[in-house]
Amino acid sequence: MRPFSHLQRVLESGAFAVTSECGPPKGADPLSLVKKASLLKGYVDAINVTDNQTAVVRLCSLASCAILRRMGLDAVVQITTRDRNRVALQSDLLGASALGIRNVLCLSGDHVCFGNEPGAMAVFDLDSIQLLDVARKMRDQGILCSGDSLTSPPKFFIGAVENPFADPMDFRVRRLEKKVKAGAQFIQTQCVYNVHRFREWMGRVRDRGLDDRVHILAGVTPLKSGKMAIYMRDKVAGMDVPEEVVRRMSSLPVKDQRAEGIKIAVETIEALREIPGVRGVHLMAIEWEEVVPEVVTRAGLLPRPSPQEELEEELEKCLPNTA
Amino acid sequence: MIEPDQEARIAFFFCQRLDPGQDKNRRSLEMEFGPSVVFYPMPCGGRVETIHLLRALEGGADRVVVITCPRGQCRYGEGNLRAQKRLKYAKNLVHEIGLEPERLEFRAVPLVSASRIDEIIRPILLEPWNLGPSPLRRVPRKR
Amino acid sequence: MITAVRKPFCEIREMVAPYESLLVVGCATCVAECASGGEKEVAILSSQLRMDATLRGKKLEVGETTLDRQCVYEFIDRLSPLVGKYEAILSLACGAGVQAFSEIFPEAIVLPGLDTTFLGQTREAGLWLENCRGCGSCKLQWFASICPIARCAKRLLNGPCGGSKGGQCEVDPQVPCAWNMIVERLRKFGKLELLEDIYPPCDWSLAQGRGPRKIQREDQAIETI
Repeated sequence: MRPFSHLQRVLESGAFAVTSECGPPKGADPLSLVKKASLLKGYVDAINVTDNQTAVVRLCSLASCAILRRMGLDAVVQITTRDRNRVALQSDLLGASALGIRNVLCLSGDHVCFGNEPGAMAVFDLDSIQLLDVARKMRDQGILCSGDSLTSPPKFFIGAVENPFADPMDFRVRRLEKKVKAGAQFIQTQCVYNVHRFREWMGRVRDRGLDDRVHILAGVTPLKSGKMAIYMRDKVAGMDVPEEVVRRMSSLPVKDQRAEGIKIAVETIEALREIPGVRGVHLMAIEWEEVVPEVVTRAGLLPRPSPQEELEEELEKCLPNTA
Repeated sequence: MIEPDQEARIAFFFCQRLDPGQDKNRRSLEMEFGPSVVFYPMPCGGRVETIHLLRALEGGADRVVVITCPRGQCRYGEGNLRAQKRLKYAKNLVHEIGLEPERLEFRAVPLVSASRIDEIIRPILLEPWNLGPSPLRRVPRKR
Repeated sequence: MITAVRKPFCEIREMVAPYESLLVVGCATCVAECASGGEKEVAILSSQLRMDATLRGKKLEVGETTLDRQCVYEFIDRLSPLVGKYEAILSLACGAGVQAFSEIFPEAIVLPGLDTTFLGQTREAGLWLENCRGCGSCKLQWFASICPIARCAKRLLNGPCGGSKGGQCEVDPQVPCAWNMIVERLRKFGKLELLEDIYPPCDWSLAQGRGPRKIQREDQAIETI
């Protein structure tokens, strides 16, 4: 089957893929998004746009990805099940495909209580695994969750997330397998600071033969400061930040911490590339998108493979004519 | 300090086990302080319910004191602890309606204490207490 | 049981302000168990209302009574002689009871004294925990008797999510991660393979109905001759 997206093509060719993400604005003007994405162009294979992350209302991922498509970028639309029921989810999946957004990341999402609309009803009609299954069946069988037929099936490369560091530890690999079974073709993991533990997890992933069935992109987030390292260690659920990393960041004067953070990120990427089964890296530089080009360059990940013309032409046709 | 001719009314809920002879021993207090002091002997401090405390206030008590056996010495285990919790809860309820929670007091007697109820209670009656008549009482104070 | 908590006193005071006589009606079933609307609580609230009225110089007569169950017509009926004697009824039943009461006495003003909360259990004295959401299709046999719909904040049927930490839920660290418990229990019983298959999407139509749900039983109905 022909790859549906540039990211899929890169991964299936065996090249080491690079993805990154942009956070959309808390408003209707997409300018900041366009600026962030412009910084990344040429340095990554595809760009994720988060979906009301931490339940904070932002410009939706779907619209943001359409804007990225207009810029000629390969976009990954993130879809959480927190805010939409299966009617809306399936509808949005059709919409994504129609707009030429051909990478879909299925997530459950953070609970509404963390966001700026804590009184909202948390939908969770489906969970992420059921959504993967639904997306796959829409694409491969042209049917909805209920079994009703679609007039034309959507086309996309389906992904999910996994956190190798969350509890219960040993169950995580089984859960990954379940996601693959449900339809996940690529996985973006939670950001890795503890390479040793991640290596262990990958060992278990390979033991179950999952590395042959799914493309795993390891998450990397460059640390901006010692404070950030401490915050990630203490306040973020499911995060493993080793003491050595905290020490490296915190022991330097503040003005030197960023550089160290970038250095650690580059070292982490280099270490991750050595792990069999790791097919790429997903750079999550939260509100620091400008650091991505430097990290990608120093990690020796350039040049990025160029988009295939045939695929691009097909996707061009999906976009509405812009003024 | 409550003088015998003042109208301040106090209700005492106390555990009978503090003084098996309490029925006889409290007579002297009753005679000295008259009807403004009311006694409610209980088989255990734990028998005191929140509603008893509210009703005592509703019935015109200015001050309600719950006296139990020493901590750790309750014959039935945690009767005195339950009494303390219920009194604390009653304080919240009383606060909700704008009445002073200080009108309710919990006392677990010390391990070494008098063994007669009048000897336990008399000092409480004689100590300074300045909340005055309960706002619930409409009857004007006698001069 | 159905749990409820007493409304804040100031809210109750405001609700009953227009009335000079009030009948406080409790329920001896669920709300008595969770210490919010039983006979004791009726007595306590009534005492507070009377004292509060006195303090504010308001006239208020408060009657007190408690029904075995306030959600069953047969029990509510018994109050027929009393209801008309009061200007308003302050019900300390759960929402089901307040409404059932109001149906039997449609002319009466029936006010809710409680905020109904959840279906749950008494874990220990003074502690009530939600454990059922009335989804209409019990799945406890697949999850080792731990309901993911009631006890997982995201209602995941193929959990856990990535935020489970130290066996606690990311949404509230005081709450155990339901999925962590499910996995441990299934592991204990040697039934982890139950989690291998994808648990399909829930049929929420059984939970939400077409409006309020109903159960009707012919064998239980009484024919009046």
